[in-house]
Amino acid sequence: MSAATLSIKERILVIDDEEPIREAMRDYFTSIGYIVDCAQELEEAQALLTHVSYSVVIADLRLTSVNKVEGLEVIGFVKERFPATRIILLTAYGSPEVEREAKRRGVDAFLLKPKPLPVVAQIVFGFSRGEA
Amino acid sequence: MREHSLLDTILEPGGLSVVFQPIFEVADGARKIHALECLTRGPRGSNMESAGILFEYVRRKREETLVDRSCIAVALSCAREFPADLNLCVNVHASTLSRDREFVGFLLEKAEMNGINPNRLIMEIVEHAPPWDIPTFNQALNELREAGVRIALDDIGLGNSNYRMLLDCLPEYFKIDRYLVSGSHTDYYRRAVLQSIVELATKFGSHVVAEGVETQADFDSVRTLGIDLVQGYFLCREMNSERIMESATSGKMVLPSVGMSVHLN
Repeated sequence: MSAATLSIKERILVIDDEEPIREAMRDYFTSIGYIVDCAQELEEAQALLTHVSYSVVIADLRLTSVNKVEGLEVIGFVKERFPATRIILLTAYGSPEVEREAKRRGVDAFLLKPKPLPVVAQIVFGFSRGEA
Repeated sequence: MREHSLLDTILEPGGLSVVFQPIFEVADGARKIHALECLTRGPRGSNMESAGILFEYVRRKREETLVDRSCIAVALSCAREFPADLNLCVNVHASTLSRDREFVGFLLEKAEMNGINPNRLIMEIVEHAPPWDIPTFNQALNELREAGVRIALDDIGLGNSNYRMLLDCLPEYFKIDRYLVSGSHTDYYRRAVLQSIVELATKFGSHVVAEGVETQADFDSVRTLGIDLVQGYFLCREMNSERIMESATSGKMVLPSVGMSVHLN
């Protein structure tokens, strides 16, 4: 699927504490036809999710320190309130325990960083096509 | 190195800005300004520019007190040159009044610094997270009233602006949220709710303000119910302080004590 085949502009929320990553995601997904919002903090993401409807949320696991895993909180927040929203968790600190917990909370895709943006985009396209 | 936190960005000089939306008295067919509500906006170009997202974020960070103080400081500073008989509505979380024992002193100090008589101020109380410390909250209300500040309860009928809050606040103003107002001209049940609020306010000896009036039909609907304080895009959008001053000095803006026609749009 490409921008030309996205009949209705879908909205994506990117949550990452690193500005270069947020901006790269914004530029890439905007260039292929999505509307992209970005958040750097958990509470900012929650405030946006409360007021705006998203098709897909792409969240980093850790937003403030290596000791916190806010990305897991994001999954719970999204799935409890907006079950139709698909969520991708990205992390450079993957472990079987974290992946298991993410899946238990309902994550739709668990990806290890670094991951080329076209690969992430293929997963998002799959969600747009209604794939599991 | 970690990025500057959002809260830092919000609180730094220039992070918050304020616009003003009139509340009109419309009882006798004229449209006179009863007060201006100070509406805060977050940093331009950020997600926080939207007041809804800004305050949702602030509440989730549990930083209502810090941000309420900043909002008050910015609003009163922007309004310092406004005509001396123009009332100003400023918003505060009930949680701030119950957590920050120095808040009323801070407000009165900022009012004095900007040459604003406290009897021009209407404190709009919003709340999203009870329970709060009722004795401290009540003490703050008493201090505000002793200083001449009037109390409004925002978003009546929604969330935690319920009967309990009405009894705790005994507000001089009942502000009715747009959710109840919008579409009331065709919705029997909305009108029934509005009517019950008007009757309750009358028994409290309070004014009623209908917020979010955006059409002639809803304007007529709230007028039919006897609501004579109206706020919303149908009458006037929000304006920055320069626009208010321009209107005031050109003679187009009419104050309650003057009683002339208003031409703000």
